[in-house]
Amino acid sequence: MMLNPLQRHLTSVFLKIFLRDRRSIFFSLFFPVIFMTVFSLANVREQEPINIGVANLSSNQVALDFVQRLSDSPVFNTVTGESAPLREALIAGDQTMVLELPADFGQSPETRSSEINVVVDAAQVSQLGLIMPVLDQTLLSIEREFRGIAPLFTIAIEDVQARSQRYIDFLLPGLMALTLMNLSIAGSGFNIVEYRRKGILKRLFVTPIEPKDFITAIVLARMTIVLVQLTVLIFLAVVLLDIRIVGNFFAYYFVVIFGTVLFLCLGFSLGSLAKTQETIGALGNVVIMPQIFLSGIFYPIESMPEWIQPLAQLLPLSFVSTGMREIANAGAALSEILPSLLGIAVWLAISFLAATRLFLWKEVAS
Amino acid sequence: MPIIEVCDLQKKYPLPDDKSQKFFAVNGVSLSIEQGEVFGILGPNGAGKTTTLEMIEGLNDIDGGEARIDGISVRTDPYQVKERIGVQLQANEYFDNVSLGELLSLFGALYHRTIDPLVLLAKVQLEDKAKAKPAALSGGQKQRFSIACALVNEPKVLFLDEPTTGLDPQAKRNLWDLVQGLNDGGMTIVLTTHNMEEAEELCDRIAIMDHGKIIAEGTPQALILEFAPEPPDAPLHGNLEDVFLSLTGHGLRE
Repeated sequence: MMLNPLQRHLTSVFLKIFLRDRRSIFFSLFFPVIFMTVFSLANVREQEPINIGVANLSSNQVALDFVQRLSDSPVFNTVTGESAPLREALIAGDQTMVLELPADFGQSPETRSSEINVVVDAAQVSQLGLIMPVLDQTLLSIEREFRGIAPLFTIAIEDVQARSQRYIDFLLPGLMALTLMNLSIAGSGFNIVEYRRKGILKRLFVTPIEPKDFITAIVLARMTIVLVQLTVLIFLAVVLLDIRIVGNFFAYYFVVIFGTVLFLCLGFSLGSLAKTQETIGALGNVVIMPQIFLSGIFYPIESMPEWIQPLAQLLPLSFVSTGMREIANAGAALSEILPSLLGIAVWLAISFLAATRLFLWKEVAS
Repeated sequence: MPIIEVCDLQKKYPLPDDKSQKFFAVNGVSLSIEQGEVFGILGPNGAGKTTTLEMIEGLNDIDGGEARIDGISVRTDPYQVKERIGVQLQANEYFDNVSLGELLSLFGALYHRTIDPLVLLAKVQLEDKAKAKPAALSGGQKQRFSIACALVNEPKVLFLDEPTTGLDPQAKRNLWDLVQGLNDGGMTIVLTTHNMEEAEELCDRIAIMDHGKIIAEGTPQALILEFAPEPPDAPLHGNLEDVFLSLTGHGLRE
């Protein structure tokens, strides 16, 4: 793309304005960084092992082996002891679960299977979903060894563990999508209203500048700002907080650029609709707020009430954040996130049409 | 041939109270301004001065009539006209955090010119403010800087909208000298003002507007002779303010 000198000059002026506005830079980085840091610290606590008590009434090798495996597992903090005190500890809330291995545990497997008694507190029952698969797996691997069966499913099991992502890994792409939306809408929508209020647009309009020069400069300047800010965030996340980005960076940045253009167009429409500072504030909130909560930034859309999910999935920010997350967390290629790309493309077409309809240079300027 | 020809210019706006009704903000204004003239447009608030200027400058759509600058129609060739004029607007705020020198370079770029900001700043006695931000300027300095911005394309016609409103007497005189100097260099200047002394001092010819129409036009002396009340009516002697008030009445506007 060839830029004329005017477009280059205006782009550099917009960049200078942003660079000299320390407060904006601070706030656009401050919140994502705070969120990331808080949640990555909170995450450490989330990973604390679950307390379980094991009352082993059996003394054979299979039972000891089983207990040893539980103790080795990072998921559990295992305490062995008598059944009665462990049950008391469970009631007191010091244990999440008590396992009682029967005296005949693992004996005569050919004739009957052993039964493990799992004692849980109803209040802790939500933990069951996390604990039971690990128990099952441990039992399964013991059984395999015992029966001398080759562990056919080892690979499958390891795959499950590789995907056990931390909340912070889930959060990062969403936060970045949120940051790019805010920077883009502020850059086009809020700035246009501000420039109009000050009479700057009118002053520019007196000169032979064409709307395309002005829009090109804003888009290029904002794009640069978004890319630099997100790169700073990625750097902080990877270096300081040890967040892993699995996917391809080119694919990731492709979605970032695509999303930025979409939200810049949306911003131009809003800035042309709103005549005053107050209106753009209100309009901005109407557009931004629901997306913050419904676009799967802080928690997955699947965890929302059933009836709101179809709506939430159609929000522009949902497409951007989902696309970015699938690349960052699951290593998806661009060809695998076609639904997200298609969603962004449709929203881009809608907001581009709206922007070209609404952004009448003469009216926007005066 | 006059450098500015305006013929039967019209602008309609919806009434504030009843959007379905329209009123003429500018109703058939015709002007003919010669190269090298300083031309003043006077009138009470809401008379249509600024709207008239904005239509001539290509800032506002022309609803009826025609305006030509240097023989070019504003309606059909607005970009050609914009290349040839310099405009100082009433509002004179600029981008935050950009220095005067950088702003002038930007305005130069808008006309596809590379300019030396220091030369322009020297013209308006702001050469030591190249690195200052507009927010740090005084009222008079801001107006002078606005004029510097309007000069980047070496315009044939300079439009000034109420250039001395709110300035102290020193800053006002200083600005008059600046305008006079530009005019001495051959530049045509069109200005609006509420200051009768300014109109008398600076302008070769004056048009007085009210209710969207020109109600009187001529040199300050001719207007005084024609419209100022005879000495018995005015205790001191007739001046341009008497002309203005006797034509537009004493009723307060806005």
